Amino acid sequence: MKRLLLLLLVLFAAGPAFGQTVVEAENVRAELLADVAAVKAGEPFWVGLRQTIRPKWHTYWKNPGESGLPTEIKWTLPAGVTADPIVWPTPNLFNIGGVINYGYRDETVLLVRITPPADLSGSSLKLAAEANWLVCEDVCIPEDGKFELSLPIAVAATPASAGTRAIFDKARRNVPMESPWPARYGVAKSGDPTLIVEARGLKPDTIRDVYFFPAEWGPVASLAKQSAQVTADGIRIPLKKGDAKAALPERLAGTLVLTEKTADGEIRQAFDVSAKLDPSFVPTSSLAAAEGSEQLSLVEALLFALLGGLILNLMPCVFPVLAMKAAAFARLAGQGRGEMRRDGLAYTAGVLVSFAVMAAIVVAIRASVGEVSWGFQFQSPVFSLLIAYLFFVVGLNLSGVYEIGGRFASVGQGLAGRGGTVGSFFTGALAVIVATPCTAPFMAAALGFALSQPAPQTVAVLLAVGLGLALPYLLLSITPALQRLMPRPGPWMDRLRQFLAFPMYASAVWMIWVLTQQTGADGVIYALGGMILIAFAIWLLRIGSGASPATWLRRGLAAVAVLLAFAAALKLEDGPATAASASGGAAAGVNFDGWERFSRDRLNQAVAAGRPVFVDFTAAWCITCLVNERIALETPTTRHAFGQAGVVKLKGDWTNRDAEITSLLKELGRAGVPLYLFWAPGADRPKILPQVLTEAMILSELSR
Amino acid sequence: MSNIVVARRSLMLGGAAVALMPSLALAAGPDLGKPAPLFTAVDSNGKTWSLAELKGKVVVIETTNHDCPYVRKHYTAKNMQTQQREAAAKAVVWLTSASSATGEEGYVTASQANDLTKKRDAAPAAVLLDPQSKIARAYGATVTPHMYIIDASGILVYKGGIDSIPSSSVSDIPKAKQYVRVGLGEVLAGKPVSDSATRPYGCSLKYPRTST
Repeated sequence: MKRLLLLLLVLFAAGPAFGQTVVEAENVRAELLADVAAVKAGEPFWVGLRQTIRPKWHTYWKNPGESGLPTEIKWTLPAGVTADPIVWPTPNLFNIGGVINYGYRDETVLLVRITPPADLSGSSLKLAAEANWLVCEDVCIPEDGKFELSLPIAVAATPASAGTRAIFDKARRNVPMESPWPARYGVAKSGDPTLIVEARGLKPDTIRDVYFFPAEWGPVASLAKQSAQVTADGIRIPLKKGDAKAALPERLAGTLVLTEKTADGEIRQAFDVSAKLDPSFVPTSSLAAAEGSEQLSLVEALLFALLGGLILNLMPCVFPVLAMKAAAFARLAGQGRGEMRRDGLAYTAGVLVSFAVMAAIVVAIRASVGEVSWGFQFQSPVFSLLIAYLFFVVGLNLSGVYEIGGRFASVGQGLAGRGGTVGSFFTGALAVIVATPCTAPFMAAALGFALSQPAPQTVAVLLAVGLGLALPYLLLSITPALQRLMPRPGPWMDRLRQFLAFPMYASAVWMIWVLTQQTGADGVIYALGGMILIAFAIWLLRIGSGASPATWLRRGLAAVAVLLAFAAALKLEDGPATAASASGGAAAGVNFDGWERFSRDRLNQAVAAGRPVFVDFTAAWCITCLVNERIALETPTTRHAFGQAGVVKLKGDWTNRDAEITSLLKELGRAGVPLYLFWAPGADRPKILPQVLTEAMILSELSR
Repeated sequence: MSNIVVARRSLMLGGAAVALMPSLALAAGPDLGKPAPLFTAVDSNGKTWSLAELKGKVVVIETTNHDCPYVRKHYTAKNMQTQQREAAAKAVVWLTSASSATGEEGYVTASQANDLTKKRDAAPAAVLLDPQSKIARAYGATVTPHMYIIDASGILVYKGGIDSIPSSSVSDIPKAKQYVRVGLGEVLAGKPVSDSATRPYGCSLKYPRTST
C-alpha cells in the first residue's frame, strides 16, 4: 500500500503536465497546450487553448457579432512572466435566424505568446489560467475551466511532440496575415462606410466570398452579406454603419476573408486590415443609393452642378487656362461685337462638347466595368506627362518664346493657341481636361450623384457643370454692357500675358508631381528631359526660315526631338511595375530577391549536379502564392534552412503566362499556380508540395 | 447540349437553396432620435398595450428569454427587478417583451409568464407576449436582454445593453455601469442620454425559424 502511494506520488510528480490541462465541459472540450516541452529563460514560446466544440455549436471571435461573447483567458503567472493578448484565428460567419455571429465551429486554437523573464529560475514554470467561453447552437451556454500547465525549465528550449507541433502549425496557418495591401475607407453621405483594399492586379474571376469582419462592435454593423466588388484595382466593400454613436475611427480594423480559386482547388485566405479614414473619398455605393434618405433630386443636382462649374473658374487647375482665355479676350476687346460673340460661343461649345465626351466615356466605362471614379484620366502617367508638356508649351508661348503662326500647329497647344473660333473651341476643351481633377473634392455631392445615376442624368449633370464653367465668358461675350467694363487694349496686355506664363509653369510642375506619384522618381527624368527636347525643337524652328536645306535639317532635328520627348511617354507605359512598387502597391510584381529566375536549363543543370532544388511558380495576382511566401518561404528560419541545405532556389513568374512555365505546368498536369516542386539531392523526380505551405512543412522536406 | 441543360438546372437549384436559406439579416434597428416603432401587443393578463397610447410617459422595453444565461444573470442578482421597481416608482412604463418564437427557448404562455414574474419577484408594468418576434424585429433586437428607452414624446433615446460588462457572471454587475438606470435618470431630468447606443450582449434572440 505504501509502495502504491509512493508510485502514485512519483507518477504525479514526474508527469510533464502537473495539474489539469484538459477541461471537459458539456459542449466544449478545452485543452491548454504549449509548443515547447521545456522552456528556456528569456525565450518566448506559445501556448494554445484548443477548443473542440460539439458539432453544430460555436464559440466566438474577438468581435462576436450581433450576440454572443468572446472567449476570455485570465492568467495567473509567476513574477516576471508575461502573457500577450489572444491571437485570434480567422473567424466564420454564422447566421442564427437572422442574428449574425462571428466565431468558430468544430475546433479552434486560441494562441497566446508567453514570455518568461531572463532570470527565470527553478525547475519548472507553472502557468495557471482561468478561461470562460460562451458556446451556442440555438441556445447559449456559458462554460469555464481552470487550467494548469507546468513546463520544465532547461538550458535550451525543446520543442513539443510532433503531434502538438502539428496542432500549432495548423493553428498559425489559421491566423490572418498582416494585409500586404494598403487600405482606406470613406464615408458616404448616409454615414455608411465603404472599404477599399488596394490589392492591385488581382484576377476578379478567381476570387469569391469576400467578407470583412470588423474587429470590434460599434463602427460597422455585422452584415449577413457584403456585396464586395473585386476589380483589377482592388477590392471595394460597401459596409453599413454600426450602432455606436461615436464618429467613425481614424482607422477601421478588421479581418478580410476571401476564397481564391486556384488550379487545384479553393483556398480561404485571411488578412488583418487597418483602413485609414480617407476624407476625400465619399463613396456613392448602391447600398446607400437604395436606402439613402438624403438623396439629391435631379433639379437640385443640376443647380449644384451649375454652381460648381462657376466655382471651377477659380480653381488652381483651371486658372492658367482661363488666364490664357482672358489674355485672348483682352486682345479681342477692341474688335467687333460679332467677333466677340462668336468667340464666346465657340469656347462654350468646346467646354460642352468636352463634357459630353467625358460623360460618354464615363457611361461607357461604367457599363463595362461597373465603377468609375472622376478624374480617371489622371490615373494614366502618359496623360499626366502629356498635360505637363502642354502646360509647358503654352507657358513658353505666353512668355513670348515663340509666336503662333498658321504653319506652327503642334498637337493640342497649336489648336488651343490658334486664334479665332477654332482656337477658342479648343481652349474650352483644354479647360475641361485640366478642370476634372479639381472637381472631385469640391463637387463630390453633385458628381457623386451624376456618376450613380442612369446615363441621361449623368450626361445632364455633367453638361450643367460645363455650362457653369463657360458661363462667365459666354455672358461677357454676348453682353455689350459688360464688355464696356473691360479695360482698353494697351501695352499692359503684353505684360499680363507674360505674367500669366508663370501660373502655367506652376501647373506643369504640379503635373510632374502628379506623375511622380504614379511612376516614382524616374518620371521626373523623362518629363523634364522631354521638356528640354521640346524647348530645343522650338528654338530650332525659330532660327531662320525659308526653304534652304539647313532649315529642313533643323526641322528634321526638331521633329526628332519632339518624337523623343513623346517616346518618354511610351517608356512610362512600359514600366507599370516600377510605378506601382514606388507608390507602395505590394502585389505589383514578383520579387526575385534571393531567388534565381526559373529556366528549364538551369533546373536540369542543378538536378543533374545532384543539388537539392526548390521551384516556386508564382504570379503577381496570386494571393495564395503571396501568403505562402510570407508565412513559409521567406521567413528567416526557412531562408536559413535553404541556405544550410544548399538548395538551388528557382522562381518562375507566371503573371503573364510565360510559355516555358506553362509547358512545364502542363507536363505536371497542373493548370496554374501556386505550384511548389522540390528535388531532394540526387532525386530525378520532384516532389509536388501542397498549395498551402507552412514553415514546418518546408523544414521537414529539407531534413528528410 | 445536355451538359448545358444540367448546368442550368443545378444553377436553378442553387438559386432556390439560397432563397430558402435564412440568410436574411435583421433590418437595422430604428435610429436614435427618431420616433420609436409603434406596436400593439397583448400582455400575460390579456391586456392590450399600444405604444401610441403611452405617449406622455417614458417607456422601457426589455427583451427577455428566461432560460438565457444572461437574462438569468440579471434576474438572479435581482438587478432587473430592482430597476423595474425604480422605474415604476418614477412612473416609467417598463415593458418586458417575451419575444422568443413559439417553440423556441424562452417562449412562454401567459400563465408561464405570470408564474415567472411571481417566482422571480419581477415588477414590470407588463410582460408582453410576442411569439412572432414582431416587437423584437421592429426594434432590430439581436439579443436577450436588449434594452430600449423611449421618451415621453415617443422618441427612441436609448438602445443597447443593460450594463457595460458583457459577461454571464453575477459578480460583474456591481462593477458595471448600469446604462439603463443612468439613461432613465437623464431622460427624466430632461437631459440627453450620454451613452445612448451601447453594445447589447446576451443570447441570440430566438426568431421564428421559417421567417422571411
